[in-house]
Amino acid sequence: MRVLRNVFRRKLRAFLTIFGITIGVLALVVMGAMAEKLQLLVDGGVEYYGDKVIVSGAGGVAGFNISPMSRSVIDDVEKVDGVTRASGAIGMLLDEDPSGVNMGIPASIEGVDFRSEGYETFETRIADGRQLEKGDRGKVVVGSDLVTKIEAEVGKDVTVRGKEFEVIGILEKTLTAPDMTVQMVLEDAQDILVGDLPAALRDQVDKRDIVTSVVVYLEDGKNPDKMATVIEGEIPDVDAMGPEGFKESVQEPLKIFNQIIYAIALVSLAVGGLSVINTMTMSVAERTREIGIRKAIGASNGAIMRQFIAESAVIGLLGGLLGLGLGYLIVMGANSAGAASATELFLITPRLAVGSGLFAVVLGVLSGIYPAWHAASLNPVQALRYE
Amino acid sequence: MDTIIEVRNLTKRYRLGKDNFVDALRGASLEIGRGEMAAIMGPSGSGKSTMMHIAGCLDTPDAGQVWLSGRRVDGARGKELARIRGTEVGFIFQGFNLVPTLSAVENVALAAEYAGISRRDAAAKAREMLELVGLGDRMKHVPSELSGGQQQRVAIARALVNDPSIVMGDEPTGDLDTGTSAEIVDVMRTINRGRGTTFLIVTHNPEVAASCDRTIRMRDGVVEDAGVAVAEV
Repeated sequence: MRVLRNVFRRKLRAFLTIFGITIGVLALVVMGAMAEKLQLLVDGGVEYYGDKVIVSGAGGVAGFNISPMSRSVIDDVEKVDGVTRASGAIGMLLDEDPSGVNMGIPASIEGVDFRSEGYETFETRIADGRQLEKGDRGKVVVGSDLVTKIEAEVGKDVTVRGKEFEVIGILEKTLTAPDMTVQMVLEDAQDILVGDLPAALRDQVDKRDIVTSVVVYLEDGKNPDKMATVIEGEIPDVDAMGPEGFKESVQEPLKIFNQIIYAIALVSLAVGGLSVINTMTMSVAERTREIGIRKAIGASNGAIMRQFIAESAVIGLLGGLLGLGLGYLIVMGANSAGAASATELFLITPRLAVGSGLFAVVLGVLSGIYPAWHAASLNPVQALRYE
Repeated sequence: MDTIIEVRNLTKRYRLGKDNFVDALRGASLEIGRGEMAAIMGPSGSGKSTMMHIAGCLDTPDAGQVWLSGRRVDGARGKELARIRGTEVGFIFQGFNLVPTLSAVENVALAAEYAGISRRDAAAKAREMLELVGLGDRMKHVPSELSGGQQQRVAIARALVNDPSIVMGDEPTGDLDTGTSAEIVDVMRTINRGRGTTFLIVTHNPEVAASCDRTIRMRDGVVEDAGVAVAEV
């Protein structure tokens, strides 16, 4: 292709310029992949929390509490006007001793009491094996991101908090919280939770009475945020959180985080764009005489402009593809390195891949406009005399 | 005889700096007939190249009129000038001036492509023209693989590819040795006789001028002697 031949007339310079774009696109792809992963995680949360209220013991941190309550709260909540169902659950961290920085959601255990059946609209599907059912003592269903970490396989035993459990199912990837969850029946989770308590306390609690959160399902048309306030008012010593609470605590900070990520990526792309302008300007200067010839043999200004913009766009395209490829390798590498500890940080979505590629081409075209216009506006006689 | 080019009272002033002008043309007039092969001679700075550039629509005059194939072109600008350069005029330059990344056949085809001919037809026409100038066996070579004489043959083929009314040579033999120079003049002469293509050649070389039908002499921006056309034999 003629355009490629022109671009690679100065090989080193062409490669350096292309790498400039590559680095920018690489930053965009890798950081964007992190943003996309977090975004999907949060979107899942927004969907899950969208129509319900989560009740937890007062003093816990919204959403990730470990402040136990009595199961009597379930009955109390169901008496509140507008509530159709309340379901108790136990949530706790999977690692007894969580260490290291964790972006996203930490691995967790979820004990369920099955009262949500028929009310929950957020579905998790099974990839292998079967769903957890009532009375499945000693059995677990494992979220897709945890499969490597705990070496889960359907039919085999895994060790969770020092106890053996049979894996009966593995969840389909949801790209949000369930991927990082081991599901078990409430009783098993209660055993683990109470086992964590100091020995002196252990005997004083009725472990079958403990839940850490209550998921509240509402009548159609009820505003979950208003209902959260009502529940907090009617039941002592609990925190109730509606979707707004989740958004405030998670979605807003994520937005800012995403903006910072994309700003950094765009700055590196802008630098790449400037290097394309520089290269194309030099290329036009070196080829002044050639531009004179082309005009002498009938090239219109438009034809000259198209030629140089095409060259610039190809630089952008090659840089973009290379950046996308490298970004893909890095993301895959980082994800598989993180799989052992279940910290999949990145996700390259189709829109991110297509967007980054397109952006690189557009950047190439934009960077080429001025040098191309300069080339097109050269006077043919002067250009031909240029040495 | 049919007139291909007629220029009347051309003036052109180049500004070199503040209050520093060069009057390249000061009212030059000239006529070139169809099928003629004419040489323009004159000292450096006599305006011969400027005259040729304006007559060939590479440049525009400050004043004066230019007719190309009977059509007034001195008022043409931009796209129209590019179109005339592409289809009605062919140029051959001193420094061969081929595009270095393109092969011989691509260089010739490029002129046809700029004139709006499809890539395939342009390539076919280019091959035909290269055969005509005796370069049928060098079509895929890039300029750096060709000798000066071969490069100039490619340039001639390129100038002919759109069947122009006139081919203009700006010192086409200036960078060639005597033997090669004579070969190139022969090629042009053969094409002039065989195809009836009009040639206008700016040269310093009296031998080149002697091979032409007439010699026009310029000095100080005007045509000093329009020469007399040698009668057709």
